[in-house]
Amino acid sequence: MRRRSPARRLATGLVLLAALVFFLFPVLWMVLTSFKSNPEFFAYPPVFIPKSFALTNYLNAMRMPPDGRGGLQGVRDSLIVSAGSMLISVLAGAPAAYSFARFRTGGENLSFWVLSTRMFPPVASALPLFLVFKALHLLDTHWALIVANTIFNLPFVIWLLKGFFEDLPAELEEAAVIDGTTIFGAFRRVALPLVAPGLAATALFSFIFAWNEFMFALLFTRSDVRTLTIIVPSLVGGHEILWGQVAAVGVVAIIPNILLALLLQRYLVRGLTLGAVKG
Amino acid sequence: MVVRLGREVARARPRIETVRRSRRTPVLMVLPAAVVLAAITLFPLLFTLRLTVLSWELTTGFPPRFIGLQNFVRVLAQDPRFWNAMANTGVLVAVGVGLQTAIGIGLALELNRLRRGRTLVLSLLLIPVMIAPVIAGFQFRMILNDQYGPLNYLLDALTFGRVHGYAWLADPGVALWAVMAADVWQWTPFMTLVVLAGLQSLPGELLEAAEVDGATGPQALRRVTLPLLLPVIVIGVLVRFMDTFKLFDIVYQLTGGGPGNVTETIAYYTYLQGFKFFSLGYTAAMAFVQLVVITIVAQVFLRYQKRVRGGAIA
Repeated sequence: MRRRSPARRLATGLVLLAALVFFLFPVLWMVLTSFKSNPEFFAYPPVFIPKSFALTNYLNAMRMPPDGRGGLQGVRDSLIVSAGSMLISVLAGAPAAYSFARFRTGGENLSFWVLSTRMFPPVASALPLFLVFKALHLLDTHWALIVANTIFNLPFVIWLLKGFFEDLPAELEEAAVIDGTTIFGAFRRVALPLVAPGLAATALFSFIFAWNEFMFALLFTRSDVRTLTIIVPSLVGGHEILWGQVAAVGVVAIIPNILLALLLQRYLVRGLTLGAVKG
Repeated sequence: MVVRLGREVARARPRIETVRRSRRTPVLMVLPAAVVLAAITLFPLLFTLRLTVLSWELTTGFPPRFIGLQNFVRVLAQDPRFWNAMANTGVLVAVGVGLQTAIGIGLALELNRLRRGRTLVLSLLLIPVMIAPVIAGFQFRMILNDQYGPLNYLLDALTFGRVHGYAWLADPGVALWAVMAADVWQWTPFMTLVVLAGLQSLPGELLEAAEVDGATGPQALRRVTLPLLLPVIVIGVLVRFMDTFKLFDIVYQLTGGGPGNVTETIAYYTYLQGFKFFSLGYTAAMAFVQLVVITIVAQVFLRYQKRVRGGAIA
């Protein structure tokens, strides 16, 4: 073990402290703003700590704007879309991932295909999907966004789960098959329970990707469906911006993300590098 | 005779069935995913390819018309706005991802020196990575607000009022750097995470051996640590390159491509052509040019990664 001078350790501490301030301040500022009254926002020098931490902005934001169901509608729509896309991706993706991992169905091309879904410019898939959704009267429905988010989520789930299945020794499943279980049975009753933590992490990642998605929501919805990522910029566009309320919607929108950042810690490297770095 | 044959077949069937079923199950397990993927990725790809040779302006109401490769000629030779958007995107990729990588490596090295609380600091640093880019854009809009933003207040206080009320997003010379700042803010911790994962899988003996051989800190870093980390760094840069090339959300929320076109990224310009001007054929051609560029760059990265990958990492 190398010994380090106190000065070096102090430098490490200071650098990391500066980094924490830099990377957390914008988030903190949004949280503080969400409690500010309008005069407090439009003050100079800026108000850092609002006078009261009452939930007024939150309550108003969840109802507003007068013509719609506001923030609460956003929470509902974001939840439906994210959960829907997550369910489809995991249900279709898990058996496929198992098959790819154990039987090499599809061979080497799969990896590049998965990468290429990440490479394809979203505007390009949006164009044909827009025309199809329009023809099927699916624009401005949850289905449109569920399908659109699955474009990225399904290959992602297959790819990540394939890695988790490959990490598993095959002997247990082989033993089960020799004992008379079908291949699907070995998958469902032996392999799947063993990768449960990885499966949960993968599912939650796909949930967050849909939760954060913006472009498809912008193009495929109008008024019946409004995810949180649509509501926030639409509220900043108007004449009189109620910054406190917009910030409140923003805070609500990042709560699941922060929870999952803490929950998924062990899997973050793997999930965010699309399985390329196992961490 | 016939009866006997039938009985033989009947007896033989179970074994054949088992073999056949065991080959069929893996295929059946892939089938749902394959069908869904074909419908939502393969179909749009082929449809877009078909669109590239059409002139189809939804605003005029004329039916689509075959025009051969004219859309591609227009993209590559007759549209300065396309090249402006490409150049902006290029700056964001080269400088922005470069900054994320450099700062990310630096922070990972410092984090790796931390003895206690490393996990806690890392998860706090990762909050920007997890949140929606649109929300990150909103946060920067408040930070950069010319009249009431905390950044201008800080500058005001530090310069004793000489810099006051600066409009970051309205200055054509600065707006692109403001967009980049938001992207760098959001994704630098991602590079830190990736590099730290690489650092922790490095064999400790190597670094100690380098030290015994008299390599000082910076030397050991340049000669031993960084080369060993190269495969992970390349993966991180590739992921960031692909996402930055599609940068849209932050631009939409911060500047809308303005002032003028100075922050218009290629994703944003494609969006305008497709969903504001409704030039379907032209948009498709532009999307294909992007796809080709991304594929080529990604292939170069992957080749390079395969070449430098020599150990247990990545």
